[in-house]
Amino acid sequence: MLFSIMRSEWFKLQKSKVSSIIMLGPALGFIMGYLNNEPLQAQQINGWFIMFMYNSLVYGLLFLPLMTGVLAGTICRYEHQAGGWKQLLSMPVTRNKVFIAKYLILILLVLLIQFLYFSAMFVAGILKGIPDPFPLEIALKSILGGWIATFPLLALQLWMSIMWKSFAAPFTVNVIFTLPSIMAVNSETFGPIYPWAQPFLMMHNFTDNMDTLFYVPAEQVLTIVGGSFLLFFIGGLIYFRRKELF
Amino acid sequence: MEFIVQTNNLTKRFGKHTAVSAINLKIRKGEVYGFLGPNGAGKSTTIRMLLGLMKPTYGSIRIFNEDLNKNRIKILKQVGSLVENPSYYPHLTAYENLEALRKILGAPKSRIEEVLAIVRLSDVANKKVKSFSLGMKQRLGIAAALLHSPKLLILDEPTNGLDPNGIIEMRNLIRRLPKEYDMTVLISSHILSEIDQIATSVGVISKGSLIFQGPIEEMRKKANPKIRITVNEPQLAYQSLLANGIQVDSQNQHLYLSEQTDNEVAKAVKCLIKNDFSVYRVEEEKQSLEDIFLQMTKEGNLQ
Amino acid sequence: MIGKLLQADFIKIKRKGFWLLSFLGAFGVVGLQIVNYSLRYDWLIQQSDDKWLYYLYNVHSFTAMALVLGIVILTSLIASVEDETNAWKQLIALPVSKMTVYLSKFTVLATLLFISSTLLAIFTFSYGLFLDLGEPVPYIEILKFSFYPYCASLPILAFHLWIATVSRNQGIPITFGVIGCIATYLAYVLPDWVIWKWPTLMNDWNDPLMNVWLGIGFGILLYFIGMFDFIRRDVK
Ligand SMILES: Nc1ncnc2c1ncn2[C@@H]1O[C@H](COP(=O)(O)OP(=O)(O)OP(=O)(O)O)[C@@H](O)[C@H]1O
Ligand SMILES: [Mg+2]
Repeated sequence: MLFSIMRSEWFKLQKSKVSSIIMLGPALGFIMGYLNNEPLQAQQINGWFIMFMYNSLVYGLLFLPLMTGVLAGTICRYEHQAGGWKQLLSMPVTRNKVFIAKYLILILLVLLIQFLYFSAMFVAGILKGIPDPFPLEIALKSILGGWIATFPLLALQLWMSIMWKSFAAPFTVNVIFTLPSIMAVNSETFGPIYPWAQPFLMMHNFTDNMDTLFYVPAEQVLTIVGGSFLLFFIGGLIYFRRKELF
Repeated sequence: MEFIVQTNNLTKRFGKHTAVSAINLKIRKGEVYGFLGPNGAGKSTTIRMLLGLMKPTYGSIRIFNEDLNKNRIKILKQVGSLVENPSYYPHLTAYENLEALRKILGAPKSRIEEVLAIVRLSDVANKKVKSFSLGMKQRLGIAAALLHSPKLLILDEPTNGLDPNGIIEMRNLIRRLPKEYDMTVLISSHILSEIDQIATSVGVISKGSLIFQGPIEEMRKKANPKIRITVNEPQLAYQSLLANGIQVDSQNQHLYLSEQTDNEVAKAVKCLIKNDFSVYRVEEEKQSLEDIFLQMTKEGNLQ
Repeated sequence: MIGKLLQADFIKIKRKGFWLLSFLGAFGVVGLQIVNYSLRYDWLIQQSDDKWLYYLYNVHSFTAMALVLGIVILTSLIASVEDETNAWKQLIALPVSKMTVYLSKFTVLATLLFISSTLLAIFTFSYGLFLDLGEPVPYIEILKFSFYPYCASLPILAFHLWIATVSRNQGIPITFGVIGCIATYLAYVLPDWVIWKWPTLMNDWNDPLMNVWLGIGFGILLYFIGMFDFIRRDVK
C-alpha cells in the first residue's frame, strides 16, 4: 500500500513540473563549476576539491536547505487545493502511510538532486579540463552526507507545509532557520549543533584529510541530525494524525 | 424595449476549443433571467465576460446601454455578482469581509448589517469565515453581491450548497428583488426546476450556443400535451378507432390522440363506448419543463 | 480610488503575519549581529579603527539577503490571500480598474518594506549605541545603509509582485526567490546588471547611489511591465 501511495504522489508531482525544480540543483552546480575563475589547475590540491568547496558554500549552505521547503510545499500542493486532503484521506489509506509516503518521496528527490548536482559538476570540470583524477569516493561521501543532513529539514518542512496552505508561510520558517547558518558555520561551538548548517558541514566532510575549520566528528553530526530528525518527523506525524478540518 | 444586458455575437475561445459561440443575450429591465445549460455549456464563461473578468475573443457586450469595454467601471458600480464558488478571505470575519468590499464600493457602513440580516448571518457576523459551512459561505457571497444595492445582480449557480430551506429563502429573495429594489437578475443554473418558479425569461445554452431565449411561457408552450386514454383492450380499441377514421397512437398499452380539441376527444370516447370498450381513464399528459430542457439540450448537442 | 483599495488591502492583510514579518526582517538582521557581537565582542571590536563603520558593514552583510527573501515571502503571501478562494474574480468584478488593484498591492508591500527599513535603522542605531562604538555616531551612514538597499531592491519587488500575481502555483515565485537569494549571496562575483546584486550596494564604480537610481528607474520599468501583463490576462 505504501508503494502505491508513493506512486500516486509521484504522478501528482510530475503534474507540478517537479522536474524543472530538480534540474535547478544540477544547473547551479554546472554554472558555478564552469564559471568559477579560481585556478583549478596546477595546484598542490586536487582541482576538484576546490570546485566542490566553492560550490558547496552556496549549494549546501543556501540552496539545499531552501529547496527542501519548495519540494515539501510542492508535494502538498494538490491536497491544499479544493479539498484535496479530504479526498486523499477518504481513500483506504492510513494517515501514517500518507505521511511516510510523502516523506520518502521527498528524500528520494533530494538524493536524485544530489547525484545530478555532482554529475553536473563533473561535466563542468571535464569541460574546463581539470587534470586531476575525479575523487569519486569523496564525491559519494559528500552526496550521501548532504543527503542525510536534509532528513530533519525535510521532516520539518513537510510538517509546516501540511499545516499551512500557502507556500510562503512554511518558506518563511525555512528562511528564518537557514539564514543564521551563514553565521553558524563560522562558529566552532554553534555550527556543529545547528541542524540547518549540517548539509553544508556534511558536504564538507570530504576535507577530512585537510586541516580545515569544518571538520566535524561524525558522531556529533549524527546526533544532531538524528535527534532533530526524530523531533521533526514525530512532531509532524503527530500533527498530521490529529489534524482536523481539511 | 430597454435591454439591461445585450450581447452581440459574444464568443470565447480557449485555444482551439470554443466555449461560447456567437451568443446574443437580451435581458430586459426588471426580469429574472434564468440562464440554463448543462455542465460545461459555457454559462460561467459568459458571466465572466459580462463582468469583464475575461476578454471576449469576439463580439461585444452592452450593459445599461453602455459598452462594457469602454465603461467597465461605471457599469460595475451598479452590478453585484457571485461567480461560481463564493470567494472570501477565510482569516477575516464575515463583517470584516464585507467591510473590505464596502471600502471599495463606498456603500454606507450600515449596509453591512442590512445585507447580513437579509442572508441571515447576523448572528455569526464576528466569526471567521474559515469556520463557516458551505451554505453560510454561499450566503455571505450573496450578501457581498447585494452590498452596494446594485441594479443588476448576476448570480452563477447561487443555490450551490444550500439546504432546501436555504434554496426556498433564496428563491423568495430573488423573486422580491425586481419589485422591491428595481433590480434585474441574471441567474444561472443547470437545473430548470430550480429557477422555474422565479424566472420570467430563460436562455438555454448548450455547447456554447444559445439554443433558446424567450419568456418562460413560450418555453412551456413547447410542451405539447397529449390526451392519453386507458382502456381494457388497447390493441382492439386502437384498430377500432382507426377504422372509424380517428387518428391515434398506441404506446405501452395506452392510446394517444393526435388531435386534442374537445370535439375530437369526445368523438373518440363516444366511439370507444359504442364499441363496448371499458374506458378507465382519459387524461392529459404534459411534458415537464425539465423534459423540454433535456430535449432541447440534447437537440443542441446534435447540431 | 486607490485610497479605498489601500484601506481594503490593509484589512485583508490582518492576521496573516505581514506586520510581524516586517518587524522580524529588520530585527533578524540586527539580531544576527547581536549574537555575533555577544559571542566574540573582543575580537570584532579590534578589527577596525572605525568601529561604527565596521559594525554597519557587519549588519549590512545580511540586509540584502533579508530584503530579497522578505520580498519573496511578502509578495507570495499577498497573492495567496487572493488566491486562496480565488477572490481575484470577486475583486476585479468590483468597480475598480485592474491597474489600481495592482498599484494598491504594490503600495502595500512598498509601505511594509519601508517600515521594515525604518525599523532596521532604529535597531541598528540602538544596538550600536549599546555596543558603545564611540563618537561621533554616523547618522547619515546608518540611514544610507538602511534605505539605499530598499530603493535598490525595488526592481526585485516589482518582478516578484508580477510573477506572484500571475502564477497559479506559488511554488514558481518561491523557486525564483531561492535563485534570487543565491544571486544576492554571490553578488561579488556577478556582473552589475544582475538586479539581485543591487541591494548589496556593490558596483564597479564603488558608488552605492548608483544602485539607488538604477533601482528606482528599473523598479518603475519592471512595475509597468508586470502591471500591463496583469491587466492583459484573464482573471484567474
Ligand atoms: N480558463 C479556461 N481555460 C480553458 N478552458 C476553459 C476555461 N474556463 C472554462 N473552460 C472550458 O469552457 C467550457 C465552458 O465552461 P463553463 O465553466 O463556462 O461551463 P458552465 O456552463 O459554467 O458549467 P457548470 O454548470 O459546470 O458550471 C468548458 O468546456 C470548460 O472546460
Ligand atoms: Mg459554471
